[in-house]
Amino acid sequence: MGEEKKEGEFEPKIIGFTCNWCTYASADLAGTSRKKYPPNARIIRLMCSGRLDPMFVLKALLNGADGVFIGGCHPGECHYIKGNFYARRRIAAIRTILKQFGLDNRVRSEWISASEGDKFARVMTEMAEDLKKLGPNPMRGKIL
Amino acid sequence: MKGAELGIEDLEGFFRGLLEKEVVDCLVMPHVAGKNIAYMMVTDPKRIESSPGKAIFAPSFSVNAAGIVKGWTVANKVGLVAKPCEIRAAIELVKLNQMDKDSLLLISVDCAGAFENQVYADHSDEIGEWLDSGKIEELKGKGIELREACTICDSRLADVGDIGIVRLNGDKVVVAGLTNMGEAALTALELPLEDKEIERKDEKARIAEEAKKNEEALPKISSIEELEAFLQDCIVCKNCRDVCPVCYCKECFFDQPLGNPASGDLLNLAELRGAIGVPANQLFYHLTRVYHVSTTCVGCGACADACPKDIPLTRYYPVIARKVQEIFEYEPGKDVEEPLPFVVYEEEELEDKLR
Ligand code: SF4
Ligand code: SF4
Ligand code: FES
Repeated sequence: MGEEKKEGEFEPKIIGFTCNWCTYASADLAGTSRKKYPPNARIIRLMCSGRLDPMFVLKALLNGADGVFIGGCHPGECHYIKGNFYARRRIAAIRTILKQFGLDNRVRSEWISASEGDKFARVMTEMAEDLKKLGPNPMRGKIL
Repeated sequence: MKGAELGIEDLEGFFRGLLEKEVVDCLVMPHVAGKNIAYMMVTDPKRIESSPGKAIFAPSFSVNAAGIVKGWTVANKVGLVAKPCEIRAAIELVKLNQMDKDSLLLISVDCAGAFENQVYADHSDEIGEWLDSGKIEELKGKGIELREACTICDSRLADVGDIGIVRLNGDKVVVAGLTNMGEAALTALELPLEDKEIERKDEKARIAEEAKKNEEALPKISSIEELEAFLQDCIVCKNCRDVCPVCYCKECFFDQPLGNPASGDLLNLAELRGAIGVPANQLFYHLTRVYHVSTTCVGCGACADACPKDIPLTRYYPVIARKVQEIFEYEPGKDVEEPLPFVVYEEEELEDKLR
Protein backbone atom coordinates (compact mmCIF):
# COMPACT_ATOMS: atom_id res chain seq x y z
CA MET A 1 0.00 0.00 0.00
CA GLY A 2 1.83 3.04 -1.28
CA GLU A 3 -0.40 5.86 -0.07
CA GLU A 4 -0.86 6.67 3.54
CA LYS A 5 -4.22 5.92 5.00
CA LYS A 6 -6.26 8.98 5.85
CA GLU A 7 -7.53 9.26 9.39
CA GLY A 8 -11.05 7.84 9.77
CA GLU A 9 -11.28 6.85 6.14
CA PHE A 10 -13.87 4.14 5.46
CA GLU A 11 -12.24 0.79 4.80
CA PRO A 12 -14.67 -1.61 3.17
CA LYS A 13 -14.79 -5.20 4.34
CA ILE A 14 -14.93 -7.68 1.51
CA ILE A 15 -15.69 -11.38 1.87
CA GLY A 16 -14.14 -13.30 -1.00
CA PHE A 17 -15.10 -16.79 -2.09
CA THR A 18 -12.51 -18.30 -4.39
CA CYS A 19 -12.12 -21.71 -5.90
CA ASN A 20 -9.15 -23.79 -4.86
CA TRP A 21 -7.81 -24.42 -8.33
CA CYS A 22 -7.77 -21.03 -10.00
CA THR A 23 -8.62 -17.87 -8.14
CA TYR A 24 -7.25 -18.96 -4.77
CA ALA A 25 -4.04 -19.87 -6.54
CA SER A 26 -4.04 -16.49 -8.29
CA ALA A 27 -4.24 -14.79 -4.90
CA ASP A 28 -1.27 -16.88 -3.82
CA LEU A 29 0.63 -15.88 -6.91
CA ALA A 30 -0.21 -12.20 -6.37
CA GLY A 31 1.26 -12.57 -2.88
CA THR A 32 4.42 -14.47 -3.81
CA SER A 33 5.13 -12.12 -6.68
CA ARG A 34 4.62 -9.15 -4.34
CA LYS A 35 1.84 -7.49 -6.30
CA LYS A 36 0.38 -4.56 -4.40
CA TYR A 37 -3.29 -4.63 -3.57
CA PRO A 38 -5.37 -3.40 -0.63
CA PRO A 39 -5.96 -5.93 2.15
CA ASN A 40 -9.73 -5.45 2.41
CA ALA A 41 -10.73 -8.96 1.43
CA ARG A 42 -11.02 -11.95 3.73
CA ILE A 43 -10.75 -14.93 1.44
CA ILE A 44 -12.68 -18.14 1.99
CA ARG A 45 -11.48 -21.05 -0.11
CA LEU A 46 -14.06 -23.26 -1.78
CA MET A 47 -13.11 -26.30 -3.82
CA CYS A 48 -15.04 -24.86 -6.76
CA SER A 49 -17.15 -21.80 -7.51
CA GLY A 50 -19.94 -24.35 -7.98
CA ARG A 51 -19.84 -24.85 -4.20
CA LEU A 52 -21.00 -21.29 -3.67
CA ASP A 53 -24.46 -21.37 -2.23
CA PRO A 54 -25.98 -17.93 -2.89
CA MET A 55 -27.00 -17.98 0.76
CA PHE A 56 -23.32 -17.33 1.55
CA VAL A 57 -23.63 -14.04 -0.31
CA LEU A 58 -26.82 -13.09 1.51
CA LYS A 59 -25.41 -14.01 4.88
CA ALA A 60 -22.24 -12.00 4.31
CA LEU A 61 -24.22 -8.91 3.28
CA LEU A 62 -26.74 -9.21 6.11
CA ASN A 63 -23.92 -9.55 8.59
CA GLY A 64 -22.50 -6.26 7.41
CA ALA A 65 -19.87 -7.13 4.80
CA ASP A 66 -19.54 -4.16 2.44
CA GLY A 67 -18.82 -6.34 -0.56
CA VAL A 68 -18.72 -9.95 -1.68
CA PHE A 69 -16.23 -11.23 -4.21
CA ILE A 70 -16.59 -14.56 -6.01
CA GLY A 71 -13.72 -15.96 -8.03
CA GLY A 72 -13.52 -19.06 -10.20
CA CYS A 73 -11.73 -20.59 -13.15
CA HIS A 74 -12.51 -19.22 -16.60
CA PRO A 75 -15.63 -20.78 -18.17
CA GLY A 76 -14.58 -24.03 -19.79
CA GLU A 77 -11.58 -24.39 -17.46
CA CYS A 78 -13.26 -25.46 -14.22
CA HIS A 79 -11.37 -28.29 -12.50
CA TYR A 80 -14.70 -30.07 -12.19
CA ILE A 81 -15.64 -29.26 -15.80
CA LYS A 82 -19.05 -27.63 -15.22
CA GLY A 83 -19.02 -26.15 -11.71
CA ASN A 84 -18.56 -22.56 -12.80
CA PHE A 85 -21.27 -22.83 -15.49
CA TYR A 86 -23.79 -23.63 -12.77
CA ALA A 87 -22.25 -21.02 -10.49
CA ARG A 88 -22.69 -18.39 -13.21
CA ARG A 89 -26.45 -19.00 -13.34
CA ARG A 90 -26.76 -18.86 -9.57
CA ILE A 91 -24.72 -15.68 -9.29
CA ALA A 92 -26.70 -14.01 -12.07
CA ALA A 93 -29.93 -14.94 -10.25
CA ILE A 94 -28.87 -13.73 -6.81
CA ARG A 95 -27.50 -10.49 -8.27
CA THR A 96 -30.77 -9.96 -10.12
CA ILE A 97 -32.60 -10.28 -6.79
CA LEU A 98 -30.15 -8.00 -4.99
CA LYS A 99 -30.47 -5.46 -7.80
CA GLN A 100 -34.11 -4.87 -6.84
CA PHE A 101 -32.86 -3.63 -3.47
CA GLY A 102 -29.82 -1.76 -4.69
CA LEU A 103 -27.26 -4.24 -3.37
CA ASP A 104 -26.06 -5.87 -6.58
CA ASN A 105 -23.16 -3.48 -6.99
CA ARG A 106 -21.66 -4.87 -3.80
CA VAL A 107 -21.30 -8.32 -5.37
CA ARG A 108 -18.73 -8.98 -8.05
CA SER A 109 -17.53 -12.18 -9.63
CA GLU A 110 -14.55 -12.70 -11.90
CA TRP A 111 -12.91 -15.60 -13.64
CA ILE A 112 -9.23 -15.52 -12.66
CA SER A 113 -6.87 -18.33 -13.56
CA ALA A 114 -3.95 -19.52 -11.41
CA SER A 115 -1.49 -17.59 -13.55
CA GLU A 116 -3.37 -14.27 -13.33
CA GLY A 117 -1.97 -12.88 -10.09
CA ASP A 118 -1.99 -9.42 -11.64
CA LYS A 119 -5.68 -9.68 -12.50
CA PHE A 120 -6.46 -10.74 -8.94
CA ALA A 121 -4.57 -7.72 -7.59
CA ARG A 122 -6.30 -5.39 -10.05
CA VAL A 123 -9.78 -6.69 -9.23
CA MET A 124 -9.16 -6.36 -5.48
CA THR A 125 -7.93 -2.79 -5.96
CA GLU A 126 -10.90 -1.85 -8.12
CA MET A 127 -13.38 -3.44 -5.78
CA ALA A 128 -11.99 -1.64 -2.74
CA GLU A 129 -12.11 1.67 -4.66
CA ASP A 130 -15.67 1.09 -5.87
CA LEU A 131 -16.89 0.16 -2.42
CA LYS A 132 -15.25 3.22 -0.88
CA LYS A 133 -17.26 5.34 -3.26
CA LEU A 134 -20.42 3.42 -2.42
CA GLY A 135 -19.89 3.79 1.31
CA PRO A 136 -20.69 1.32 4.06
CA ASN A 137 -23.27 -1.43 3.63
CA PRO A 138 -26.59 0.00 4.86
CA MET A 139 -27.14 -3.25 6.78
CA ARG A 140 -24.12 -2.59 9.00
CA GLY A 141 -24.99 -2.14 12.62
CA LYS A 142 -28.68 -2.78 12.04
CA ILE A 143 -30.65 -4.93 14.38
CA LEU A 144 -31.41 -7.80 12.03
CA MET B 1 -55.84 -29.76 -30.79
CA LYS B 2 -58.71 -32.19 -30.26
CA GLY B 3 -61.62 -31.27 -28.06
CA ALA B 4 -65.33 -31.58 -27.48
CA GLU B 5 -67.91 -28.91 -26.87
CA LEU B 6 -70.18 -29.77 -23.97
CA GLY B 7 -72.91 -28.13 -21.97
CA ILE B 8 -71.74 -27.15 -18.51
CA GLU B 9 -74.17 -29.71 -17.07
CA ASP B 10 -72.34 -32.47 -18.96
CA LEU B 11 -69.27 -32.00 -16.76
CA GLU B 12 -70.80 -34.26 -14.14
CA GLY B 13 -70.77 -37.15 -16.58
CA PHE B 14 -67.29 -36.17 -17.73
CA PHE B 15 -65.75 -36.42 -14.24
CA ARG B 16 -67.75 -39.57 -13.44
CA GLY B 17 -66.48 -41.10 -16.66
CA LEU B 18 -62.86 -40.43 -15.73
CA LEU B 19 -63.34 -42.55 -12.61
CA GLU B 20 -65.66 -45.17 -14.13
CA LYS B 21 -63.40 -45.82 -17.11
CA GLU B 22 -60.45 -45.89 -14.71
CA VAL B 23 -58.67 -43.17 -16.60
CA VAL B 24 -57.72 -42.00 -13.10
CA ASP B 25 -57.96 -43.71 -9.70
CA CYS B 26 -58.95 -40.57 -7.90
CA LEU B 27 -59.77 -36.96 -8.60
CA VAL B 28 -58.64 -34.02 -6.50
CA MET B 29 -61.19 -31.37 -7.37
CA PRO B 30 -63.15 -28.44 -5.93
CA HIS B 31 -66.58 -29.03 -4.45
CA VAL B 32 -69.21 -26.88 -2.79
CA ALA B 33 -68.76 -26.84 0.99
CA GLY B 34 -71.54 -24.77 2.53
CA LYS B 35 -71.07 -21.22 1.34
CA ASN B 36 -67.55 -21.99 0.33
CA ILE B 37 -65.53 -24.02 -2.11
CA ALA B 38 -63.02 -26.61 -0.91
CA TYR B 39 -61.05 -29.45 -2.40
CA MET B 40 -62.11 -33.07 -2.12
CA MET B 41 -60.37 -36.26 -3.09
CA VAL B 42 -62.91 -38.52 -4.67
CA THR B 43 -62.62 -42.14 -5.77
CA ASP B 44 -66.28 -43.17 -5.99
CA PRO B 45 -67.88 -41.90 -9.22
CA LYS B 46 -71.20 -41.61 -7.43
CA ARG B 47 -69.72 -39.02 -5.13
CA ILE B 48 -69.06 -36.56 -7.95
CA GLU B 49 -71.41 -33.72 -7.08
CA SER B 50 -74.09 -32.63 -9.48
CA SER B 51 -73.21 -29.43 -11.40
CA PRO B 52 -69.46 -29.60 -10.73
CA GLY B 53 -69.19 -26.51 -12.95
CA LYS B 54 -70.39 -24.48 -9.96
CA ALA B 55 -67.37 -25.53 -7.94
CA ILE B 56 -64.59 -25.77 -10.50
CA PHE B 57 -65.19 -22.33 -11.99
CA ALA B 58 -66.02 -20.61 -8.69
CA PRO B 59 -63.75 -17.60 -8.12
CA SER B 60 -62.53 -18.78 -4.74
CA PHE B 61 -58.93 -19.58 -3.82
CA SER B 62 -58.14 -21.68 -0.75
CA VAL B 63 -54.92 -23.63 -1.10
CA ASN B 64 -52.73 -24.17 -4.11
CA ALA B 65 -53.86 -27.71 -4.88
CA ALA B 66 -50.48 -28.72 -6.30
CA GLY B 67 -49.30 -28.70 -2.70
CA ILE B 68 -51.80 -31.45 -1.88
CA VAL B 69 -50.13 -33.99 -4.12
CA LYS B 70 -46.56 -32.75 -3.56
CA GLY B 71 -44.10 -35.51 -2.79
CA TRP B 72 -46.53 -38.37 -3.38
CA THR B 73 -44.98 -41.65 -4.37
CA VAL B 74 -47.91 -43.80 -5.42
CA ALA B 75 -48.51 -45.85 -8.51
CA ASN B 76 -52.15 -44.75 -8.62
CA LYS B 77 -53.17 -42.14 -11.10
CA VAL B 78 -54.37 -38.87 -9.65
CA GLY B 79 -56.45 -36.44 -11.66
CA LEU B 80 -55.98 -32.87 -10.48
CA VAL B 81 -58.68 -30.40 -11.46
CA ALA B 82 -57.55 -26.88 -10.64
CA LYS B 83 -56.88 -23.35 -11.74
CA PRO B 84 -54.02 -22.69 -14.15
CA CYS B 85 -51.65 -21.38 -11.44
CA GLU B 86 -52.11 -24.62 -9.52
CA ILE B 87 -51.54 -26.78 -12.57
CA ARG B 88 -48.43 -24.76 -13.39
CA ALA B 89 -47.14 -25.40 -9.87
CA ALA B 90 -47.78 -29.14 -10.34
CA ILE B 91 -45.72 -29.05 -13.52
CA GLU B 92 -42.85 -27.40 -11.65
CA LEU B 93 -43.09 -30.11 -9.00
CA VAL B 94 -42.77 -32.78 -11.68
CA LYS B 95 -39.61 -31.05 -12.90
CA LEU B 96 -38.34 -30.86 -9.34
CA ASN B 97 -38.84 -34.64 -9.08
CA GLN B 98 -41.52 -34.21 -6.45
CA MET B 99 -44.14 -35.98 -8.58
CA ASP B 100 -44.10 -38.57 -11.30
CA LYS B 101 -45.81 -37.13 -14.34
CA ASP B 102 -47.12 -40.58 -15.35
CA SER B 103 -49.20 -40.70 -12.19
CA LEU B 104 -50.80 -37.30 -12.78
CA LEU B 105 -53.54 -36.24 -15.14
CA LEU B 106 -53.55 -32.46 -14.99
CA ILE B 107 -56.81 -30.72 -15.84
CA SER B 108 -56.79 -26.93 -15.87
CA VAL B 109 -59.94 -24.82 -15.83
CA ASP B 110 -60.41 -21.25 -17.06
CA CYS B 111 -60.04 -18.70 -14.29
CA ALA B 112 -61.19 -15.10 -14.34
CA GLY B 113 -59.48 -14.22 -11.08
CA ALA B 114 -60.45 -15.27 -7.58
CA PHE B 115 -61.25 -14.02 -4.10
CA GLU B 116 -59.66 -15.28 -0.92
CA ASN B 117 -61.91 -18.15 0.10
CA GLN B 118 -63.14 -16.41 3.25
CA VAL B 119 -64.09 -13.34 1.20
CA TYR B 120 -65.86 -15.60 -1.27
CA ALA B 121 -67.76 -17.36 1.52
CA ASP B 122 -68.94 -14.05 2.95
CA HIS B 123 -70.21 -12.82 -0.41
CA SER B 124 -70.83 -15.94 -2.49
CA ASP B 125 -74.38 -14.93 -3.40
CA GLU B 126 -73.30 -11.55 -4.76
CA ILE B 127 -70.23 -12.98 -6.46
CA GLY B 128 -72.00 -15.83 -8.20
CA GLU B 129 -70.45 -18.63 -10.20
CA TRP B 130 -68.54 -16.85 -12.90
CA LEU B 131 -66.87 -13.45 -13.24
CA ASP B 132 -66.55 -11.03 -16.09
CA SER B 133 -64.83 -7.65 -16.05
CA GLY B 134 -68.09 -5.76 -15.47
CA LYS B 135 -68.89 -7.91 -12.48
CA ILE B 136 -65.34 -7.53 -11.10
CA GLU B 137 -65.68 -3.74 -11.26
CA GLU B 138 -69.11 -3.79 -9.70
CA LEU B 139 -67.88 -5.92 -6.79
CA LYS B 140 -64.83 -3.74 -6.37
CA GLY B 141 -67.14 -0.79 -5.94
CA LYS B 142 -68.63 -2.63 -2.98
CA GLY B 143 -65.21 -3.27 -1.48
CA ILE B 144 -65.13 -6.92 -2.56
CA GLU B 145 -61.73 -7.18 -4.22
CA LEU B 146 -59.92 -9.87 -6.15
CA ARG B 147 -56.74 -11.29 -4.68
CA GLU B 148 -53.79 -9.11 -5.60
CA ALA B 149 -52.05 -12.14 -7.14
CA CYS B 150 -54.97 -12.63 -9.54
CA THR B 151 -54.85 -9.03 -10.72
CA ILE B 152 -51.23 -9.48 -11.85
CA CYS B 153 -51.66 -13.00 -13.26
CA ASP B 154 -51.04 -13.13 -16.99
CA SER B 155 -51.76 -16.81 -17.59
CA ARG B 156 -55.15 -17.69 -16.25
CA LEU B 157 -56.57 -19.44 -19.29
CA ALA B 158 -56.96 -23.21 -19.30
CA ASP B 159 -54.08 -23.96 -21.65
CA VAL B 160 -51.75 -25.85 -19.32
CA GLY B 161 -51.72 -29.46 -18.23
CA ASP B 162 -53.10 -32.47 -20.10
CA ILE B 163 -56.69 -31.29 -20.47
CA GLY B 164 -58.06 -27.76 -20.52
CA ILE B 165 -61.65 -26.92 -19.65
CA VAL B 166 -62.50 -23.72 -21.46
CA ARG B 167 -65.53 -21.69 -20.47
CA LEU B 168 -67.52 -20.35 -23.39
CA ASN B 169 -70.40 -17.90 -23.28
CA GLY B 170 -73.84 -19.31 -22.62
CA ASP B 171 -72.93 -22.11 -20.26
CA LYS B 172 -70.95 -24.05 -22.81
CA VAL B 173 -67.52 -25.50 -22.23
CA VAL B 174 -64.83 -27.03 -24.40
CA VAL B 175 -62.90 -29.94 -22.99
CA ALA B 176 -59.63 -30.02 -24.90
CA GLY B 177 -56.78 -32.50 -24.95
CA LEU B 178 -53.50 -30.61 -24.64
CA THR B 179 -51.13 -33.60 -24.54
CA ASN B 180 -51.19 -37.20 -25.71
CA MET B 181 -52.21 -38.28 -22.23
CA GLY B 182 -55.03 -35.77 -22.27
CA GLU B 183 -56.27 -36.80 -25.70
CA ALA B 184 -56.14 -40.46 -24.73
CA ALA B 185 -58.27 -39.67 -21.69
CA LEU B 186 -60.89 -37.93 -23.82
CA THR B 187 -60.86 -40.77 -26.31
CA ALA B 188 -61.42 -43.29 -23.50
CA LEU B 189 -64.53 -41.32 -22.55
CA GLU B 190 -65.80 -41.65 -26.13
CA LEU B 191 -66.40 -37.93 -26.41
CA PRO B 192 -67.23 -36.54 -29.87
CA LEU B 193 -63.78 -35.11 -30.55
CA GLU B 194 -63.13 -32.59 -33.27
CA ASP B 195 -60.36 -30.14 -34.07
CA LYS B 196 -60.67 -27.18 -31.73
CA GLU B 197 -58.92 -23.87 -31.79
CA ILE B 198 -58.63 -22.76 -28.16
CA GLU B 199 -55.55 -20.59 -28.53
CA ARG B 200 -57.38 -17.32 -27.79
CA LYS B 201 -54.39 -15.17 -28.69
CA ASP B 202 -56.23 -11.85 -28.46
CA GLU B 203 -57.69 -12.59 -25.08
CA LYS B 204 -54.31 -13.73 -23.82
CA ALA B 205 -52.70 -10.52 -25.01
CA ARG B 206 -55.42 -8.44 -23.38
CA ILE B 207 -55.02 -10.28 -20.06
CA ALA B 208 -51.25 -9.92 -20.18
CA GLU B 209 -51.48 -6.20 -20.83
CA GLU B 210 -53.91 -5.67 -17.98
CA ALA B 211 -51.79 -7.79 -15.63
CA LYS B 212 -48.73 -5.79 -16.52
CA LYS B 213 -50.51 -2.53 -15.88
CA ASN B 214 -51.70 -3.77 -12.50
CA GLU B 215 -48.27 -5.05 -11.56
CA GLU B 216 -46.70 -1.71 -12.40
CA ALA B 217 -49.26 0.04 -10.21
CA LEU B 218 -48.33 -2.05 -7.14
CA PRO B 219 -46.20 -0.29 -4.53
CA LYS B 220 -42.56 -1.14 -5.19
CA ILE B 221 -39.95 -2.34 -2.73
CA SER B 222 -36.84 -0.76 -4.13
CA SER B 223 -34.22 -0.66 -1.41
CA ILE B 224 -33.08 -2.94 1.34
CA GLU B 225 -34.43 -0.45 3.87
CA GLU B 226 -37.82 -0.59 2.15
CA LEU B 227 -37.70 -4.35 2.25
CA GLU B 228 -36.94 -4.20 5.95
CA ALA B 229 -39.95 -1.94 6.46
CA PHE B 230 -42.13 -4.16 4.26
CA LEU B 231 -41.28 -7.18 6.41
CA GLN B 232 -41.23 -5.48 9.77
CA ASP B 233 -44.32 -7.27 11.07
CA CYS B 234 -43.09 -10.71 9.99
CA ILE B 235 -42.93 -13.14 12.90
CA VAL B 236 -41.00 -15.75 10.88
CA CYS B 237 -43.77 -18.30 11.35
CA LYS B 238 -42.91 -19.68 7.89
CA ASN B 239 -46.55 -20.16 6.93
CA CYS B 240 -45.70 -18.58 3.60
CA ARG B 241 -43.24 -21.40 3.02
CA ASP B 242 -45.60 -24.13 4.18
CA VAL B 243 -48.37 -23.16 1.77
CA CYS B 244 -46.04 -22.47 -1.14
CA PRO B 245 -46.50 -25.23 -3.69
CA VAL B 246 -42.94 -24.97 -4.99
CA CYS B 247 -41.14 -24.85 -1.63
CA TYR B 248 -40.40 -28.54 -1.27
CA CYS B 249 -37.26 -29.20 0.82
CA LYS B 250 -37.76 -32.10 3.23
CA GLU B 251 -35.87 -30.19 5.86
CA CYS B 252 -35.85 -26.45 5.44
CA PHE B 253 -32.64 -24.64 6.36
CA PHE B 254 -34.73 -22.35 8.54
CA ASP B 255 -35.87 -25.28 10.66
CA GLN B 256 -32.31 -26.35 11.35
CA PRO B 257 -30.05 -25.02 14.13
CA LEU B 258 -28.15 -22.67 11.80
CA GLY B 259 -31.26 -21.20 10.25
CA ASN B 260 -33.38 -21.27 13.36
CA PRO B 261 -30.90 -20.55 16.14
CA ALA B 262 -31.98 -20.98 19.73
CA SER B 263 -30.46 -20.95 23.16
CA GLY B 264 -26.65 -20.73 23.13
CA ASP B 265 -26.53 -20.34 19.35
CA LEU B 266 -28.78 -17.33 19.54
CA LEU B 267 -26.73 -15.84 22.38
CA ASN B 268 -23.57 -16.33 20.35
CA LEU B 269 -25.12 -14.49 17.42
CA ALA B 270 -26.25 -11.65 19.65
CA GLU B 271 -22.76 -11.41 21.05
CA LEU B 272 -21.28 -11.34 17.58
CA ARG B 273 -23.47 -8.47 16.41
CA GLY B 274 -24.13 -6.72 19.68
CA ALA B 275 -27.88 -6.89 19.08
CA ILE B 276 -30.05 -9.03 16.84
CA GLY B 277 -33.74 -9.08 16.03
CA VAL B 278 -35.72 -12.01 17.42
CA PRO B 279 -37.22 -14.22 16.10
CA ALA B 280 -33.97 -14.29 14.17
CA ASN B 281 -33.32 -14.25 10.44
CA GLN B 282 -36.37 -12.35 9.21
CA LEU B 283 -34.62 -10.80 6.20
CA PHE B 284 -32.31 -13.76 5.66
CA TYR B 285 -35.31 -16.09 5.52
CA HIS B 286 -37.20 -14.06 2.93
CA LEU B 287 -34.17 -13.33 0.76
CA THR B 288 -33.22 -17.00 0.77
CA ARG B 289 -36.75 -18.11 0.05
CA VAL B 290 -37.16 -15.72 -2.84
CA TYR B 291 -33.95 -17.11 -4.31
CA HIS B 292 -35.16 -20.67 -3.80
CA VAL B 293 -38.44 -20.03 -5.63
CA SER B 294 -36.96 -17.54 -8.08
CA THR B 295 -37.35 -19.74 -11.14
CA THR B 296 -40.38 -21.77 -10.02
CA CYS B 297 -42.73 -19.25 -8.35
CA VAL B 298 -45.98 -19.40 -10.29
CA GLY B 299 -47.34 -16.23 -8.72
CA CYS B 300 -50.32 -17.95 -7.12
CA GLY B 301 -50.34 -15.66 -4.08
CA ALA B 302 -50.96 -18.51 -1.62
CA CYS B 303 -48.15 -17.04 0.51
CA ALA B 304 -49.90 -13.68 0.77
CA ASP B 305 -53.21 -15.33 1.71
CA ALA B 306 -51.52 -17.38 4.42
CA CYS B 307 -49.61 -14.61 6.18
CA PRO B 308 -51.15 -14.11 9.63
CA LYS B 309 -49.72 -10.59 9.68
CA ASP B 310 -51.34 -9.62 6.37
CA ILE B 311 -48.04 -8.79 4.72
CA PRO B 312 -48.92 -8.40 1.01
CA LEU B 313 -46.33 -10.94 -0.11
CA THR B 314 -47.60 -10.84 -3.70
CA ARG B 315 -45.66 -7.59 -4.04
CA TYR B 316 -42.50 -9.48 -3.17
CA TYR B 317 -42.35 -13.16 -4.20
CA PRO B 318 -43.90 -13.19 -7.68
CA VAL B 319 -42.63 -9.71 -8.54
CA ILE B 320 -39.00 -10.46 -7.66
CA ALA B 321 -39.10 -14.01 -9.03
CA ARG B 322 -40.25 -12.74 -12.42
CA LYS B 323 -37.09 -10.64 -12.73
CA VAL B 324 -35.05 -13.83 -12.42
CA GLN B 325 -37.35 -15.74 -14.75
CA GLU B 326 -36.82 -12.98 -17.31
CA ILE B 327 -33.04 -13.40 -17.41
CA PHE B 328 -33.47 -17.11 -18.16
CA GLU B 329 -36.48 -16.52 -20.42
CA TYR B 330 -38.25 -19.12 -18.35
CA GLU B 331 -41.97 -19.38 -17.67
CA PRO B 332 -42.68 -21.73 -14.78
CA GLY B 333 -45.27 -24.38 -15.48
CA LYS B 334 -45.46 -23.73 -19.18
CA ASP B 335 -43.74 -26.81 -20.49
CA VAL B 336 -43.02 -29.99 -18.58
CA GLU B 337 -40.18 -30.84 -20.98
CA GLU B 338 -38.33 -27.54 -20.59
CA PRO B 339 -35.50 -27.99 -18.06
CA LEU B 340 -35.32 -25.91 -14.90
CA PRO B 341 -32.89 -23.01 -15.39
CA PHE B 342 -30.53 -24.09 -12.61
CA VAL B 343 -29.85 -27.55 -14.03
CA VAL B 344 -28.68 -26.43 -17.45
CA TYR B 345 -26.38 -23.75 -18.87
CA GLU B 346 -25.06 -22.25 -22.07
CA GLU B 347 -21.32 -22.08 -22.58
CA GLU B 348 -21.54 -18.38 -23.29
CA GLU B 349 -24.11 -16.38 -21.37
CA LEU B 350 -24.92 -13.94 -18.57
CA GLU B 351 -21.48 -12.33 -18.39
CA ASP B 352 -23.16 -8.93 -18.08
CA LYS B 353 -24.95 -10.06 -14.91
CA LEU B 354 -21.92 -11.03 -12.84
CA ARG B 355 -20.23 -7.77 -11.92
S1 SF4 C 1 -43.85 -17.86 -3.50
FE1 SF4 C 1 -46.02 -17.34 -3.11
S2 SF4 C 1 -46.80 -16.76 -5.15
FE2 SF4 C 1 -44.87 -17.88 -5.51
S3 SF4 C 1 -45.51 -20.02 -5.85
FE3 SF4 C 1 -45.01 -19.79 -3.64
S4 SF4 C 1 -47.00 -19.34 -2.65
FE4 SF4 C 1 -47.27 -18.97 -4.90
S1 SF4 D 1 -46.39 -15.97 6.71
FE1 SF4 D 1 -46.07 -13.77 7.13
S2 SF4 D 1 -45.37 -13.68 9.28
FE2 SF4 D 1 -45.18 -15.85 8.61
S3 SF4 D 1 -43.01 -15.99 7.89
FE3 SF4 D 1 -44.29 -15.51 6.07
S4 SF4 D 1 -44.22 -13.24 5.94
FE4 SF4 D 1 -43.52 -13.80 8.01
S1 FES E 1 -12.65 -25.42 -9.81
FE1 FES E 1 -12.44 -23.30 -10.25
S2 FES E 1 -14.48 -22.84 -10.80
FE2 FES E 1 -14.66 -24.99 -10.55
